[in-house]
Amino acid sequence: MLAEQIHGFLKTFFKVTNCEITEEGPHYLTVQLTADIDKRIMNRPFYWQFIESTKAEPNPLKVTFITKKSEEQEIRGEYIHYGSMRMHQIFQATKELGSFVRMYQNEEGASLFPWIGANFKVSYHADQTKEMLFSLGINLIHGSVKSNFQDILNELDLTNEMPKNAYCLPYIVSPIRAIERLETAVENYIANDDMTWAEEARKRWKREQEILDHFYLGVEEKPEIYETEKKALEERFRPRIKMEIVSGGLFYLK
Amino acid sequence: MMIEKSSYWKEEFARRLEGNGPWDDWTLYKMAYEVEKDQLITDFSGLQAPKFLTNIKFLDHQIEAARTVIEKMNGKAILADEVGLGKTIEAGLILKEYILRGLVKKALILVPASLLTQWVDELNGKFFIPAIGCKKKNVPFEHYDFVVMSMDMAKRSPYREKIYGQDYDMIIIDEAHKLKNHKTQSYQFVQGLKKKFCLLLTATPIQNNIFEIFYLVSLLKPGHLGNVESFQTYFNNGKNGLKEDDYLKELVNQVMIRNRRQDTGIEWVGRHVQTIPIRFTKEEQEVYQMIQRLKERTTVFNNSFALTTVLKEMCSSKEAAYLTLEKMKEKARSQAEIDYIEEIIGKLANLEVNSKAEKAYEIIRKAKEKVIIFTEYRATQLYLQWYLYQKGIKSVLFNGKFSKNKRDWMRRLFQDVADVLIATESGGEGINLQFCHHVINFDLPWNPMKIEQRIGRVHRFGQESDVYIYNLAVQDTIEDRIIDLLGNKIDVFEKVVGELDDILTNKMEERIYRSPSFVSNFHFEDFGLEDQLGFT
Repeated sequence: MLAEQIHGFLKTFFKVTNCEITEEGPHYLTVQLTADIDKRIMNRPFYWQFIESTKAEPNPLKVTFITKKSEEQEIRGEYIHYGSMRMHQIFQATKELGSFVRMYQNEEGASLFPWIGANFKVSYHADQTKEMLFSLGINLIHGSVKSNFQDILNELDLTNEMPKNAYCLPYIVSPIRAIERLETAVENYIANDDMTWAEEARKRWKREQEILDHFYLGVEEKPEIYETEKKALEERFRPRIKMEIVSGGLFYLK
Repeated sequence: MMIEKSSYWKEEFARRLEGNGPWDDWTLYKMAYEVEKDQLITDFSGLQAPKFLTNIKFLDHQIEAARTVIEKMNGKAILADEVGLGKTIEAGLILKEYILRGLVKKALILVPASLLTQWVDELNGKFFIPAIGCKKKNVPFEHYDFVVMSMDMAKRSPYREKIYGQDYDMIIIDEAHKLKNHKTQSYQFVQGLKKKFCLLLTATPIQNNIFEIFYLVSLLKPGHLGNVESFQTYFNNGKNGLKEDDYLKELVNQVMIRNRRQDTGIEWVGRHVQTIPIRFTKEEQEVYQMIQRLKERTTVFNNSFALTTVLKEMCSSKEAAYLTLEKMKEKARSQAEIDYIEEIIGKLANLEVNSKAEKAYEIIRKAKEKVIIFTEYRATQLYLQWYLYQKGIKSVLFNGKFSKNKRDWMRRLFQDVADVLIATESGGEGINLQFCHHVINFDLPWNPMKIEQRIGRVHRFGQESDVYIYNLAVQDTIEDRIIDLLGNKIDVFEKVVGELDDILTNKMEERIYRSPSFVSNFHFEDFGLEDQLGFT
């Protein structure tokens, strides 16, 4: 993200989380944080612990974030950019506050079909990593599955309140059952995916194990260090696959 | 292969469905998805970290080093760039990359105490890695994920045990050449650590002999160079035998990255090295020879190491030699021994000229710029400050024991007020003195890499002028032998590790400068410029 994108991102983030932007320039924002956002992004647990235990009046911070450094401007504040810790915390807060939704297509008097949308993150780990994101949707009436579901949703006009006179069809497939079906779909994808990376990692593991064994060749009682090294090799090279849903929701669509 | 599934989302979603909410904001939901997509690691290879670190201008060889460690060396390597090419930057980049890829969640960084603050600052300020420095007893470092600690502290109880109890994914060790001796406590401590991902940083992986690289590599990857017996068999023709050097070099290069200045594509300024022969005065020569004869006159010097020490000290300053001789005198058993040592001390006291110091003064005068003098001895350091002060030259002292504040302060004084900085060996690490272009090695250490470290303070990235190095060596003394030996060691290093920039040259300066001097006693008092100027 460029400085301009960061600026836009922050502006939207604070607006949506009800933090009042009290002052703004092209390259800075001054924000009055809410207690909740202060807790999430300002990294001062002791203060909040103190407030909660003494039941004192909380005093959330007012902060100026500078999104692009420039020589002439005299604004004092915290420089924030893509890699900074603060940005990382704001990204984290965004994820925590944006992972469960229920939305309706904004059309009066329409019959709306229930869908489950879920965004899966799959990661392959050994001594190297690769990650994939799958956005899938499943219809809770007839069970058909759509991929790139998030892209479809992005094109629609959605609202979090049921539109007037709309009729939401009750689901036939239970949402939890539907999520399990999506999981199976992702698992099938993984089962058919190229697993050369795992074989390569195992080969590297084996080679390094042989080197280690060679070091202790002829040693009857191997010392503890040998076991430690062996365990470290396993942790480094054993291929693992992880799968999680990062966000998703219930959608009523036309 | 088994898939590790997290059920967190599913369970929470079920709860919210049942409780009819609460539901998150749609805008945040879309933003979160974009963030997720943006930060996805789509490829096993390549580096993610640089896009988060736009504040750092990485040099090509640094990016390349990080890639090689991650993609070809599987995360275990010796980073052995020449001094001043940014090993710390490479290590930080690699650590950051592993953190982003979720492979490293906890890391321990072991450094010399003098560099601790600098590491903590760089990791936090440049790499946005929330590292804490642990230098006091009661820091609960177990509760932190990224810990910087001095090696001296870490190897001792109770820290040692506490560290063993932690599960670090990555270990980084700076100035790793200090681990060359496998019998030391530090070596054994590191050997016992679990090293999943591991980086050893040193500009000087070999200092004295080939076994140092064996022990260093074996620490990182036991067995990579075989075991002790097989390695010894390869190199059984003496300490520096190098029959199998090409094979060894290849093996070493599988776990070691070494960038040299000229490989970096950066225009480096020149390095001019001169070895300047000094001739003792008749009086100095006489004392030197008396010291040489100590071996025959007393048993205290049966140990040739002790004798070598005094001889080396004599080549530096009478002050340095005096301290050791005094200590020897206390150990002497017979009156004859004591008398002889006292006779030497008497002659020493009457020496009026330090030929080397005069040469150094001449160099400083000719340079007309700031000069750094390195000496191995604290006594020489103090003497030189006194001597130069007589000549109207202001100097500041620099030692490894200085706190970070004092270092910064001395560096400033040197830059702004003084003409000369006189540093002892241990003061050399981790300071940048690019504004200075002249280095005098007042005495020579046995170890060529120490000289490289000294020169590296000045001849590093950011230096804009050529640098001049003067190695002072007294002729017909032990320093001749040191020069020979240094040459040999550089040979071993180059065969296994690669070429070195000029450290020594054979260019001898013909003209020997000599002038009378009025130094009549020993000078040990600290002539701190900071005191003269009223700073404390």
